[in-house]
Amino acid sequence: MLLQYWPNSTNVRFMSFRLPALLLSAILIAASFALIFTKGMNFGIDFAGGSVIEIEQPEGVQEEDVREVMGGLGLGEVGVNAARGTGVEAIEVIVIRFATQPAEPGMDQDTAQQQANDRVRAALNEAFPGLNVRSSAAVGPKVSGELLRSGLMALAVALALMMAYISVRFQWKYALGAVAALFHDVIITMGMFSLTQFEFNLSTIAALLTIVGYSMNDTVIVFDRVREEARKYKKMEPDKVIDLAVNQTLSRTLLTSGTTLLALFSIYLFGGTVLSGMSFALIFGVIIGTYSSVFVASSVLLLLGLDQGEKQRREVEGFQGI
Amino acid sequence: MLNFPAWKVILILIVLVWGALMAIPNAFTDGFLGVEPREPQSDAPQDIAAYEAQMDAAEESWWPSFLPTNKVNLGLDLQGGVYLLTQIDPAEVAANRLETLQTDIVQALNRDPLIQRDVPEQQGTTLPIQLRNAEDMEEALRRLRRINPTIGATGSDRVLSIEQVGPQRIMVSVGENAQQALAADAQGTMITIIRRRLDPDGVSEVSITPQGDTRIVIEAPGEADPRRIKNILGQAGRLTFNMANMDQSAVNAAQATRPPPGFELLVDEFGRPMLVNRTPVVTGSDIASASQGRNPDDNSPAVDFRLNGTGAERFGQTTANNRGQIFAIVLDGTIMSAPRINEPIWGGNVQITGQFTLEEAQDLADIIEAGELPAKLNFIEERTVGPGLGADSIAAGTNASLIGLALVGVFMIIAYGLIGSFAVGSLLANIVLILGALSGLGATLTLPGIAGIVLTIGMAVDANVIVFERIREEQQNGRSPTTAVIAGYERALSTILDANITTFIAAAILYLLGSGPVKGFAVTLAIGIVTSVFTAFVVTRWFTAMWLRLARPRKLSI
Repeated sequence: MLLQYWPNSTNVRFMSFRLPALLLSAILIAASFALIFTKGMNFGIDFAGGSVIEIEQPEGVQEEDVREVMGGLGLGEVGVNAARGTGVEAIEVIVIRFATQPAEPGMDQDTAQQQANDRVRAALNEAFPGLNVRSSAAVGPKVSGELLRSGLMALAVALALMMAYISVRFQWKYALGAVAALFHDVIITMGMFSLTQFEFNLSTIAALLTIVGYSMNDTVIVFDRVREEARKYKKMEPDKVIDLAVNQTLSRTLLTSGTTLLALFSIYLFGGTVLSGMSFALIFGVIIGTYSSVFVASSVLLLLGLDQGEKQRREVEGFQGI
Repeated sequence: MLNFPAWKVILILIVLVWGALMAIPNAFTDGFLGVEPREPQSDAPQDIAAYEAQMDAAEESWWPSFLPTNKVNLGLDLQGGVYLLTQIDPAEVAANRLETLQTDIVQALNRDPLIQRDVPEQQGTTLPIQLRNAEDMEEALRRLRRINPTIGATGSDRVLSIEQVGPQRIMVSVGENAQQALAADAQGTMITIIRRRLDPDGVSEVSITPQGDTRIVIEAPGEADPRRIKNILGQAGRLTFNMANMDQSAVNAAQATRPPPGFELLVDEFGRPMLVNRTPVVTGSDIASASQGRNPDDNSPAVDFRLNGTGAERFGQTTANNRGQIFAIVLDGTIMSAPRINEPIWGGNVQITGQFTLEEAQDLADIIEAGELPAKLNFIEERTVGPGLGADSIAAGTNASLIGLALVGVFMIIAYGLIGSFAVGSLLANIVLILGALSGLGATLTLPGIAGIVLTIGMAVDANVIVFERIREEQQNGRSPTTAVIAGYERALSTILDANITTFIAAAILYLLGSGPVKGFAVTLAIGIVTSVFTAFVVTRWFTAMWLRLARPRKLSI
């Protein structure tokens, strides 16, 4: 149908923009690093420790009333905010947050955090009988430290395995290009989280890993074509070969990104606040991943030098037998 | 590529029908499927009524029993419930073990010929022993080593390290490695006791699983308040009956300096201090059963328990010998009650009265009945989702999935026309397969898991798009529809596999390193990748092949 009207062969000279594109990416990466190290991430309690308790706003109770109850508990700084609740029906909720609690002697901080949570619950139940607690979470500093370490570990392992897989299936030059694109995507997405101060939590790590997978997926499809065309046109200039491959896969790249983004937007808009951070990361990551598979991965490959013809390894013929 | 012999078609149909059968129970209630429904969430009349309605429906169900009835397991974030991560402190396990071993140590040193020493005072995981005579050293070490118990199944490691630290001084301690091994040993015992405490009747769906060597995860679906669980598990449940002394001058002397050897100073429910003999008359292992009862005087809630044969005998004898004295019922270092012995208590039936609510009395009876934890449980992470939020999350997730599916479907049909609708058909098959696989594998669906399904919907068309784009190109190169489709599928295969294996790697890592809801995301993502490659590459190809054979189009309009 409509795709019939998509030009049969686009001919965009992507690689002629490679220097400005790489420069732009370098600036974005530098800016992201600067943001991450100066402004920092808005770590959720998964990684920073602390408590979040969400209560349904009782009839006639205001933020101040809750703040007053919390003020008497000696928990240090307590954030009390009215918000729109998760879910289909927009229930008014009040979100209470407080940071890691100091431990009394003979008790560890993780336990102290739990007891603080229980105290808050008891105080709230007493002040507002029949209170409906929608969710509560308390994470001690030991646990949050471990969660952060294992989250970052998961990212590192994923990147390493991707690189290994591409090195086996393609050449090392392709692998470097692909991994450069992955770092690019992860760092800029993290920079975005630092800029917007969206909460960075376990779901965000899941989103980052998915972005890694998605971006890799995109890059592989472009590289597959590059390899194929490089064998076919041994005399063509390398940048022309890459342009040809990118143009040939362009409609697929845009279509898949399009349907994925459609699905993600429906999570972002209709999936409730619990998923909004995760879907935000995914939406941003899909866009940046699509960009990077063309401009970063391919540009790096071109910089490293594209091997055409006999120098290609032969065993990479792949899964044709299946 | 377009040849589908009968056996291939049958295989495809088997997979699709299997997926559909596994997925179908999710559309119906437990009652309709003839499954016994879940316990009512509360005593509220509407919950009870709903439960009974389901029970009645289950009896009348005509659902054949050979068909599957498993539904997708909902994670705690969707059905509501409490998640608690607890930590066992190895040093505490070791200290408690050392304390119980003290009896053996005393016995060993008391054997003829008696080894003279000061009364040892345990400090945490160490117990220094000061001998009166240096010449006893060799014999003391020999006796202590003989009673040193082994750890674990191999039997090569010992609990205690016994060292001579001076001419007359021996240091008995539990080393770092032994502490870890003891904690790992204790983990299994603790899981059993936790289950007995939380689920005395064996009916609730609470799940108790080990994590590493020193942690235990407790997941209680349907529970809305974590404080009850924390209360029940927060105490070691070490119950003892000890002889006590309330004599004012002895108590005063102990308060001024320190309690005499073998005694400790504890406070009872009214704040009265008393000296309690450290050696108990009755311990938790002497208790045969415990239950919630009533105080005959004022009908207030109380805890009744019954001692086993040897315990009852010992208790009866002790009470007979100590008329007029006081004995203390001590739970985790607090005196629950300290009655005076008016007459010997034979038969082994004892009641604790006090300021209990009915629920507290029931919980305490469960705790005592379940037995003593080898160490206190420390709670280090809590996540609770109320039933309201869970229901909202299900609704939001379902909405997002349906809208996402509709958007992607419409988009595909607009972009590719007829062949796009084949892709939409296989997309629907894909979702049925994902649900079927989740139900069949007993995997847990979480809210991020639903996001994973929606993401799969978006990405599943990718494989189709790759193939369609290839077909389009081949057609432009002048091939006939059939050869273009064949070439398209052939050339797209390795690309599709490469692209999906990388995403699968990411999902596998998430599964291995993630926890809870994130793990749920990894599961649906991974299942979605497998099913979407199957549906795009096999099911859509089959549809296309049938269509090519039946319609024999001159040209593919893509």
